[in-house]
Parts: sequence; C-alpha cells; structure tokens
Amino acid sequence: MPFQARGATASPDPHEQELDADLQTIRAEIRALQRRKRYLASSLLSSDSIQKLMRKPSQTPTSLREDVSPLAEAAGKHADSNHHRIAFGTTAFPFKDPSPSATPGNLLGVRIDVCTRGGRFAKPYYVLLRPEREKRLRVHRHTVPSFIDLPRLENVYLPSTGPRVEGENRAEGTGVQKGARNQDLRGFVRELRRELAAWHLREDTVQLLREKLGLCEALLIDPADRLTPEARGGIVALEPTSMEARYLRLEWEDGRVGRLKLSNSGIVERAVVIGDDGRDKIVEDAMTGGGGRVESLLERLRDRIGAT
Amino acid sequence: MARSKLIRAPTTASLPNNLRIPPTTPSLTKTLGKHSRQALIELALTWLDDQHLASFPPYLQSDARHDKDNEEALPYPAADTVEDARQAYMDFQDRKGAKREVLERILEGDWRHGITLRQLAMADLRYLDDHPTSLRWTALELSRTDTRRGISNDAPMTDWSASIPRTQVATFVKALQQEISPLVKAHYHLSRSSTLPLTFLRIFVLDTPYQTPRQSSEIFADSSRIIYVAFPDSCPYVYTSITTSPGSKANPSSNSAGTDSRSLLRLVRDAVPKALSRPHERYTLKATALAAKNLPTLLALRGPGRTTAANGAFCIFADAAVEGSPLDPRPSNTVSAEEYIRADSVDIAFDDKENVDIASASKTMPKREADLATPRDLSPQTSKKRRLATLSRFGCAEISSNPAPLDSLDVRLLDGPSNTKSTDDNVTEIADSGSATLPTVTLTFTGSDVVGGLRKLAELGIIDPERMPSWMTGEEAVSTAVVKGGKRLRSDV
Repeated sequence: MPFQARGATASPDPHEQELDADLQTIRAEIRALQRRKRYLASSLLSSDSIQKLMRKPSQTPTSLREDVSPLAEAAGKHADSNHHRIAFGTTAFPFKDPSPSATPGNLLGVRIDVCTRGGRFAKPYYVLLRPEREKRLRVHRHTVPSFIDLPRLENVYLPSTGPRVEGENRAEGTGVQKGARNQDLRGFVRELRRELAAWHLREDTVQLLREKLGLCEALLIDPADRLTPEARGGIVALEPTSMEARYLRLEWEDGRVGRLKLSNSGIVERAVVIGDDGRDKIVEDAMTGGGGRVESLLERLRDRIGAT
Repeated sequence: MARSKLIRAPTTASLPNNLRIPPTTPSLTKTLGKHSRQALIELALTWLDDQHLASFPPYLQSDARHDKDNEEALPYPAADTVEDARQAYMDFQDRKGAKREVLERILEGDWRHGITLRQLAMADLRYLDDHPTSLRWTALELSRTDTRRGISNDAPMTDWSASIPRTQVATFVKALQQEISPLVKAHYHLSRSSTLPLTFLRIFVLDTPYQTPRQSSEIFADSSRIIYVAFPDSCPYVYTSITTSPGSKANPSSNSAGTDSRSLLRLVRDAVPKALSRPHERYTLKATALAAKNLPTLLALRGPGRTTAANGAFCIFADAAVEGSPLDPRPSNTVSAEEYIRADSVDIAFDDKENVDIASASKTMPKREADLATPRDLSPQTSKKRRLATLSRFGCAEISSNPAPLDSLDVRLLDGPSNTKSTDDNVTEIADSGSATLPTVTLTFTGSDVVGGLRKLAELGIIDPERMPSWMTGEEAVSTAVVKGGKRLRSDV
C-alpha cells in the first residue's frame, strides 16, 4: 500500500510501468501455482492409497493422524460424493429454504450432472422440490433451461392432489380418479436428465461437425480427422438455429441452404435442402438415409457426392 | 402538391418500406437527433451499403439534374456517385466534429428527398441497441391454449421440449398483417439485436386504410405509435414495449371502439399470439408480472437460461456456486463461490492494488467493504453473522455472472395491520383502502437496482436479513406482486 500514494502523484514512468507489468505476471503465476497446489493436495488426500492408509490406525503416527485426519476425512467424503455424481449422474441433497415464511422450509434438492465433450462436466442442473400435503412434491425452484417444458413434465410425473384446474381436466380426460395417480420422482428425474443429456449431446455434435468442417478454431478432434476442403462438399456454414440445437442450418457455397432436425437420439429426422432450382433431393436423402446418424452426416454427404 | 391528386383507395396492404417522410419534419429531426454522432455516421454508412442501397438511394447529382427547383438552396451539393457519399461519411468518422453536421448532411444532403420508413425503423432499432434501458419492457409468456394435447395420457411421451412456436419471418409478418389490417395500417420491421440474443419486431401503426396517408408527416416519427415486440431465443416468452396488462379480453367492450394510438397498439399486441398460432397449435399471451427497463434483466429472469426459475437465495444454484464439477477434487467448503462462478474464464483477474492511483483503487474496492467500514454496531461477530445471513438470503448476486437489476418493485400486502412489520424510511408507502374491512398496503420501491439496494440495507443491518420476506430478495423474479403471509399469491398475477 505505500506505493499507492506515490503512484497517484508521479507521472507514469516507463520503467516503473514495466516493473508493474512484471509484478502482475508474477502475481498471476503465484496464484495459478497456489491453485494448482491446492488441487494437487486435495487430489492426493482423496486418492485411494492415502485413504486406505488413513483407515489403518496402526501404521500412521498419532501426531500425523491428528493433523491430517480431518482433512483426509473431508477429502474422502468429497471423493465419495464425486464418485456418486459421476457414476449415477443424479444425486439428491437436502436444502433449507432460508425464507422465514417457508415452513418448515425443508427442500429436496436434485442435482443432475451431464458429461460433455472433452471430458468436462457441464454446470450441474438443480431442481429443488418442495414437499406439500400428503408427502407430495412440487417443483419449487430449478435451473433447467426454459426450452425444456418442466411444468408439463411435472404435471405428468409429479401430479398434485390440490384443486388444480389441470388436475381436474386430466381426471376427466383419462377417467382416472383425482389424486389417484402416484407421483413418480424417478420417472421425473429420468426424463429430465434424458432431455438435458440429449441437449448437450446435440450441442457437442454440432461442435464436432463444425470442427470437422474447419469452421471453428478450438480443436478437440485429431487434425487428421478434419475434412479436406474438397471433402467438405462446399459447406460453408453449419450452425444451430437456436440455443436448443434441435434444428441445424447449413449453407453451401453455391447458395443452397438446408435445414435439418435432430432427434434426441442423434438421428437426422428431417432434412430440407433448397437451391436455386428447387429442392435437392439427393442431398436430402443422403442426410436422412444410411441410419441417419448425425455424427457421420458429413461422410455420407461426401460419399454421395463422390458417387454422383 | 401532385400527390393529393392521386386516387386514394383503402387497401389492406401494409405501409410500404419506401414511404418517404419529408426531411423538414421536426419530429424526424428530433428522432434522429437522439443518436450519437458515431451512431449517425454508422447508420448512414449502413444505408449506403450495397445491400440496402436499392431501397433508399441517396440523392445524387443525376437526380439533381432532373429537378431544377431547388438549386443551390441547400448547403450540401448532391454527391456525384454513391462512392462519394460514402467517402463523405468516412471523412466524418476520421475527424472530430459536431453531431449537427452529420445530421444536416443526412437530412439536407444525401436524403433530402425524404427518409423512408425503413430507414427510420433501422435508426430506432439502432437506438435500442445503443440504449438498452430506453424503453420499459413487459415480459409475457406464450402458452398453448389447447391443453388437451399438452396433457399426456398414460403412454409416456418422449418429447419434452417446450412449445416454442417456430415460424418463418415472412410467414409471421404476413399472418400478423392479416390479423390487424382491417383496423390498423402498419409498417413492420424485423431485425436481430446485435448485442443480445433477441429478435426485435418494430411495428408502426396508423389508423387509416389508405396507402398514402393524409396525416401530416409529423405522425411518422411519433414514438407513441410504435410498438416493439422482442422475441428471445429458445424460450416461451415475448417482451413488449407497451405496459398494459393483457387482461383486455376480460373487458373487450369498454374500449374496443377507440382508435387512439394506445388501443391500436393493444390490437397489434393481441394479434401477435394469433399470428404465431397454427391450426391445432393455438397460443395465447399470459402476464408474468415482470416489467423492467433493462432488457438483460428480462433475459435473466424470463429468458432461456438457468436463472429464470432460481433467483434470490437460489441464485447460488443458477450460478453453480455451491459445488464444483464432479471432477474437482477440492471439497466444496474450501473453494469460494467466486472461483466456481468464474471457473470457465481463463484467469481470475484480481486487481493489483499496488501502484494504482487512488481514484481507481477506491473504485475497484468492493462497495460492500467500504460500506461495512462504518457499520452501526461495530462488533465483528455481528457483522460477520449478518454478512453470512445476507449471503444466504440473496445468494451471491453481487458477483453473479448474470445480474438482473430491477428498476421498480411493486408489492401489495394483503396481511392485516398487525402482521405488517414496521416499514423503513426509504420506502414510499401508499396506503389504499381497497377492501372495506382490511386495509391493504402497497409498497413501491424504485431505483436503478431495487434488489441490490435492499441487499445493501441488509448488509448495513437496517433490514434484518433473517426475517425479511423472500419477495424482498428478488427470489420471486417479479416486479409486481400480491403478498399474503410472506408468500406471493400466484392467482392474482
């Protein structure tokens, strides 16, 4: 802090500025290293061998155990919950609503982890459920993107007994007694997770196709897998039409434009390609035919063009 | 004028893009004068761009030869070619100068024969992009009216994507035109926002059936005749710039005969969901009790992202600030929320306090610390406890990646007087005697960031963060609410 006053009054000296820049880079490096150290320390503590060692009381000196054991225990617990999150993808946790008007305010949290391309996990999705009468659950808060129709999902899998208009309609339509349907939390979470995972898969596939076409910089694929300019079939643009990535828009260098719809399972459901002289049925067939997997879309197009 | 001799017949067509407004219209000068110099130059260059040139060509020397009336009356000689005109604006860009000269060159020089409706629309949308808080927006929810299809029978459905209407721009505008053309003559302009994931539709309405309206040209730049509709990407919401609630269906007779600009706008707004509908897929607009000046706020609270249904105390989930990815070996209580939020960015840019001049240093210092330096009760335990309590109620909104400032919050309390807590000095209080037995209290908070302000009050210990109701923390994500027993009543939306 003593430098502050001087810095304010003195005119910027080039030498001093250079030193400042150096200081900043050094600080950034220190921070990065500190972060790395913490990472390594926690991974070490939660590693299997250390955990096993700590569980055998005879082999570790008492002084060391007293020092390390709370840390190791926390690390072990954390590793356990991480294993659950990775293996099952969906975990539950309790959460207390801090609002004073919420009584009793105990919420059931559901955390959904989706693994994306490049071995990373997307930000976890949360759904917080509020218990209501007769142990029925309602969705209280959630972080699910709004193109997934969570209210509809909730109505189907977590029907409420309350005097809701939708509930009455449903009872009339299906002839089921009001409130007779049980809530199916597993089904709810299963469908929700499927939608979220399908969305991330669609996004990842679009990214993969773009990388193959050389349309974006960051590469996760082997450069050898990149298509040569001739094999690209003249595709100059490929992008999702919206965040949902259900519809993709393609553009060829000769002015043809195409649009295709992806299903949740990664199949090209429908495709339309329009050029100056009407629809290009050959390319459309190549897109939807041959199993219709979107990952091999470009290869199918290339083969089709090579055949004709 | 030669124009008045034309045969005027009522049509259902929309107002043409190339309808020219005389540049002498004062309101036009005012509308364009709102822009900054830089924006005006860029607008003119866009207009001179090859793709727009055909729609509104500038006044060139070749035009000047045809009409001999107004020779040398104007200070700007007509440019020889389009290239010359472009060059003139490039020159403006290179040197400093007044906004006035650019505006005059546009109105009295290159477009002396008139600014077209389309140019005006482009100018207005540019203004929206530059000033995202210039209008007050209301968020409305698009919902399907044919609930029968939405309700599943016992066969499990596989498609859970929300019912967001998909339509082509031309189809949509045509359908909208069909809906409103018997009553309203309109000009439509659709454009993609350059900064936000939104598509704007600007509709200018006139209550005349004639193609060449007889109204004075003043009316074309009348901002009260313009309605903006914004369509955010991938979410079933629509934002409009008119603030009346869409409860118009309840009392259609009361003002259906009116032809003032307000009711015209309402007609247009009501036509939007109809134009989005298709057979077996009918949409209607529902109010969502949110209106704000800031478009990013609407996008955060009624948008496609994670924050739509997790605010206030729950924004820690929206920001994923409680726990890290399953691959993170660090126990979550050892990592700060800030680190989780910014995990994606490459490096956390902390400010180095050293050698920074004092002014900027005090600016970069978090406001919270500055405020907490002078708390009323000085015990560090209390202040720490309070800080934690505030954090648990408001989440980490301060460092959140998605701030959503509300400019007003209107709350009607239905509780009896004994339940209402003593109110603060900062609160404007309007008591209205709505029902005979129970006086209701309406609280209106206004400011640049209402929830942020309440948070600050809680941090300073003026509001008890543990006992404050959840609508004060922004958890409900609304700007108007009816509250009973600390809970928002949903039926009264």
